[in-house]
Amino acid sequence: MTENHVPLEKHHVILEMRSITKEFPGVKALDKVTLKVRAGEVHAICGENGAGKSTLMKVLSGVYPHGSYDGQIFFQGEEVKFNTIRASEKAGIAIIHQELALIPELSITENIYLGNEVKSRGLIDWSQAGRLATDLLARVGLDIDPQTPIKNLGVGQQQLVEIARALSKDVKLLVLDEPTSALNEEDSAHLLDLLRGLRSKGLTSIMISHKLNEVAAISDSITIIRDGATVESFEVVDGNVDQDRIIRSMVGRSLDSRFPDHTPKIGEAFFEVRNWTVAHPTIPDRLTSKGSNFFVRHGEIVGFAGLMGAGRTELARSIFGRTYGRYIDGELLIDGKSVHLPTVSSAIAHGLAYVPEDRKVLGLNLLDDIKTTIVSADLGRISKHNVIDRDQEYSAAEGYRKSLRIKANSVDVGVNTLSGGNQQKVVLAKWMFTQPELMILDEPTRGIDVGAKYEIYGLVQQLADQGKGVVVISSELPELLGLCDRIYTIFEGRITGVFDKADASQEKLMARMTETVSATTL
Amino acid sequence: MKSIKQLLGGDTRQYGMVVALIALIAFFQIKTDGKVLTSTNAINVINGNAYVFIIAIGMVMVIVIGQIDLAVGSVAAVVAYVVALSIRDWGVPWWVGVLLGLLTGMIIGAWQGFWLAYVGIAGFITTLAGQMLFRGIQQYIGKATATPVPKEVKYLGSGVLPQWGPDTGLNNSTLLLGVLAVAFVVWVEIRKRNKLRKLNASVPPIYLPVIRIVILAALIGYATYLFGSGSTAAGESLSFPVAGVIVAVLVIVYHFITQRTPIGRAVYAVGGNKIAAGLTGINVRRTYFLTMANVSFLAAIAGVVGVGRSGAAGGTDGTNWELDAITAVFIGGAAVSGGIGTVMGTVVGGLVMAFLNNGLNLIGAGADITKITKGLVLLAAVAFDVYNKSQNKPSITGALARGLHISRGKKSDGPAGPSEVVTPDPAGTASK
Amino acid sequence: MKKITVAITALAATGALALAGCSSDEGSKSSSPAATSSSAAPTAGAGFDAGATIGVALPQKTSENWVLAEKLFNDDLTAAGFKPVVQFAAGGVQDQQSQIDSLVQQGAKVIVIGALDGSQLGTQVEAAAAAGVKIIAYDRLIQNTEAVDLYIAYDNYKVGELQGQSLLDGLAARKCDKTKWNIELIAGSNDDANSKPFFEGAMSILQPKIDDGTLTIVSGQNTQAQAATEGWDPKNAQSRMDSIISANYTGGVTLDGVLSPNDTLARAAIESATQAGLDTPVLTGQDSEVESVKSIAEGKQYSTIYKDTRALVAKTIDQIKLAQAGTAFEVNDNESYNNGVKVVPAYLLTPQIVTKDNAEEVWAQDDTLLSTFKSALG
Repeated sequence: MTENHVPLEKHHVILEMRSITKEFPGVKALDKVTLKVRAGEVHAICGENGAGKSTLMKVLSGVYPHGSYDGQIFFQGEEVKFNTIRASEKAGIAIIHQELALIPELSITENIYLGNEVKSRGLIDWSQAGRLATDLLARVGLDIDPQTPIKNLGVGQQQLVEIARALSKDVKLLVLDEPTSALNEEDSAHLLDLLRGLRSKGLTSIMISHKLNEVAAISDSITIIRDGATVESFEVVDGNVDQDRIIRSMVGRSLDSRFPDHTPKIGEAFFEVRNWTVAHPTIPDRLTSKGSNFFVRHGEIVGFAGLMGAGRTELARSIFGRTYGRYIDGELLIDGKSVHLPTVSSAIAHGLAYVPEDRKVLGLNLLDDIKTTIVSADLGRISKHNVIDRDQEYSAAEGYRKSLRIKANSVDVGVNTLSGGNQQKVVLAKWMFTQPELMILDEPTRGIDVGAKYEIYGLVQQLADQGKGVVVISSELPELLGLCDRIYTIFEGRITGVFDKADASQEKLMARMTETVSATTL
Repeated sequence: MKSIKQLLGGDTRQYGMVVALIALIAFFQIKTDGKVLTSTNAINVINGNAYVFIIAIGMVMVIVIGQIDLAVGSVAAVVAYVVALSIRDWGVPWWVGVLLGLLTGMIIGAWQGFWLAYVGIAGFITTLAGQMLFRGIQQYIGKATATPVPKEVKYLGSGVLPQWGPDTGLNNSTLLLGVLAVAFVVWVEIRKRNKLRKLNASVPPIYLPVIRIVILAALIGYATYLFGSGSTAAGESLSFPVAGVIVAVLVIVYHFITQRTPIGRAVYAVGGNKIAAGLTGINVRRTYFLTMANVSFLAAIAGVVGVGRSGAAGGTDGTNWELDAITAVFIGGAAVSGGIGTVMGTVVGGLVMAFLNNGLNLIGAGADITKITKGLVLLAAVAFDVYNKSQNKPSITGALARGLHISRGKKSDGPAGPSEVVTPDPAGTASK
Repeated sequence: MKKITVAITALAATGALALAGCSSDEGSKSSSPAATSSSAAPTAGAGFDAGATIGVALPQKTSENWVLAEKLFNDDLTAAGFKPVVQFAAGGVQDQQSQIDSLVQQGAKVIVIGALDGSQLGTQVEAAAAAGVKIIAYDRLIQNTEAVDLYIAYDNYKVGELQGQSLLDGLAARKCDKTKWNIELIAGSNDDANSKPFFEGAMSILQPKIDDGTLTIVSGQNTQAQAATEGWDPKNAQSRMDSIISANYTGGVTLDGVLSPNDTLARAAIESATQAGLDTPVLTGQDSEVESVKSIAEGKQYSTIYKDTRALVAKTIDQIKLAQAGTAFEVNDNESYNNGVKVVPAYLLTPQIVTKDNAEEVWAQDDTLLSTFKSALG
């Protein structure tokens, strides 16, 4: 594939994970997973969300200490038993997570050497550290003053700093967890180039990704994990990767059956947004929504496609009780009448519901049990004279537990003990309980396993069939294409296009999401 | 066990503390040759700690929303002087003085709530400022001069319910309370069974509620005897203390508010996840405001009861009361990070500290030994709690109780297969 | 101290005599104040300007006496032509430390310190002394430093002795139907150095009577540590008395007397006994607080100690005047107050014991207390 590339067969195995089994109470997260990585290669691990990729990497890095899992790990020919992240780092394994672990207020140098300071006679030698940092930055292709605070860097640059930090620790195996998920195309390309360069210098990398084009572009071998088990592992020959084969292995069924069959029953438009203009909460002249116009019909599932930061969530939350940003202009109409929704409770009263993108941070009180959560957005329905009727609470929640097939022994179970998919069902139940006319779902299937996704798609379709309007915001274009009747695209706070299901495609959506086609074609 | 569980708002972690409380009382009862469980001593414990319970009821709500109130002692001290001075110097009737005191508490509460909820200054800072501010106001208006209160106010803090009617061998007020409490227990059990029948759920065998009623009635009967059978050295009949009635009423009211009303749910929701609560339609600011205002109001009640007990407002009133209340709350199982804590748990926590103090007094331990012991007990209680949570299991007694209750175990709905229940992330939730 | 002990032995003997009969005269009057012998203090300065700034650093406004002292210092120093700066350490020891520093900066020639904690001011008073400022420790001794020029106070050991004696007197007078009495002890806060001389002074009188069986401490709590009252907080004393009473004074056991180191705690003990339905025991006290003055007039609290704040402030200002003129401080005790580094020259005023019988005489000069007492008499 590239310069100085020694054929893989000649490389020894640097990492072998043998028959790793990791159990949580009631669920086997990993079931006899094996992984062999050869020195000097880029090894891709593919799998759906929840397949067990992250758990496997946590086992590798010592987050789950030796003894909490079954199986063996061999690194550089010796069996290793890591009990802490520090132990795995010491052995030369560095993991770069999706959530970057840099401290925004500190400089690049300080971050690179945090906990690993360059010392001279017991004191930190900042000038030496600065010189070393400059070298490291050059190695990752970042031409920037190492004194710069992290908060002034973009996400892509921060990722490179993370890699520089790993290199400073004399890393032998670099693990990147979804490294490009938050990057734009240019940064992504740069990162892939960097990985190639590091490979040519002998560094071994594991890349977790479900972006098949990237996987195809860079990997030397691929391991596919599904439902906690290794499905297959193969070498890439001459850069030819059969993407369909990967998909089939990942989802365990062909793409066609990822969505339940559904015939939409679309009625009249009932919810309309006109000229909706909202500014950033603290930066007054930055508009997060620029004169947006859209509408939703009864029984219709409407998608919103856009890159991260395009303003999809911001738009949704500014409509839902003005929970984001500063309102500047625009009008909301329900059944043709203009409505004013300054608070969440007024939005709920007008039949709106918003299921936020990050369940654990925005959607749930993890200390609550299922029943308390389900009724929380509409306590009035189960209260008499401001006193909660516990029997009604219980039976309402129990009804949703059964109809949504929430996997829990009872509704008294704490939501923190549920899996992502079941947590999402609880949040959906919470908003279905308010009996909304318009349900806005923000990334409804993020971090959920395939089976649960299928069920959630079914629920969304049921809602639509009851005549409600559903808005789905998602980063996964196949999801929007499979689920939605109509899809809006957003770019930098502007609605740049709308497509009916019939004539939408990934390419068309992407073009409008990135504005690579000229606006005149709109 | 289940009734204890219900008594405690369903929080299994509290079993341990109830057992600890019983063990503590038993230990001192033996150690002092039976001086703990006597009429006069029981009344002393209630009267001497009424202020702790009253403030702690409000404090647990403040801690549940993730804040803290350091000013309650100063607030109580100001209120004590407002009551004493207005009655003595302005000549207002005693009940007007008490109302003025409570009004003062509400105004101060609104002040504290305003800074937290609408200006956004953390409760720790708001109330740290309040602690100094109101202590200063207390010294300004009181000049550290002991100011007595009339006997009606003293009755609120140190009196016992009156004796009346026929000679039953017990104090009739206390007897009436006891009978009412037993009747309530019976009513609750009957109501529960009727409801289960209506819902067509399986009704547990009759002996279970009967056993529960018998156990609870025996406990209530013993308490009735304890409080109602004594007499003073002068031969007057002793009874349940008035301050105890105030505490009991507040406990019941606030238990109900926190567990059964939307505002109570809002308190837990805001404490558990402020952002999620806001996106659920809860008015986060209003919840902050009301919770902060409420604890100052309760501190005012505590100030009235406190001045009633000591008979006069004085310079050291309210010193460290906030710490006594906070201690009770944390021993009662609340979490510093918010979202967790119950009124009933706090009452148990308060009782643990009250009987510990009392027992140490009875055996003649000095102030130094008492402090050392209390510090260690607080640490041990919370460490026990943290350990249990980190092990992700309830206390031994909680586990026992669960073993007895089939309902939590093997019920299975829907298709068979591996349960999706996964363990909570130990780092993420153990500290909550 | 030896001198005082001798005097007290005599006093105790008088008291013992009084015990024999139930005389209408409620106990013997306290002996005349110990003779004061003036002697020149070792340090005499050069004097300073008559209108100079005088600093006064007081602890906290937690008792009436400190509030009164503030007023007196302000009024009387001004009347004497000085410029007073009187401050309270509301925020604790750190507050007082920085106040002393700033008084030096303000050019005070003398700083009168009512220490919040006498052991934590060494650094500040040394800095003050280095700047040529004279330091007078007012009411509370400053420990572990050379830099204290004078200690002026009421004699606290003496206070304890008077309290102990008055407890015996009161028992004899009020509980004259018997010759053996049950008593309990209350001591002051452990973190106040004065609690020790109070308690030990009193025990020097009471212990012999305990040993010979005249007095019985039914609870057995006979050490200062057991009897201590955290923070001088009456709530704590009341709780402790409640426990003691419920545990020990039932079934006809009478509580005849309680030794209390001050009035606030005395009233708490009376409250406790009253609430338990006991007869009011004989209670000692200290500070002549208004509420206790009433209580004495009404025949409840037996005695209190009068440490006339006016006299103490007046004497302090006399000493400041001496310093201003460049003469030495007046000293009447040059041996008792070793602060750990040196024997601090002291001027001790004699406290007075007050009972219902001598109240009008003792408080003749104190209009507030006298009128309070008279109106409470009815």
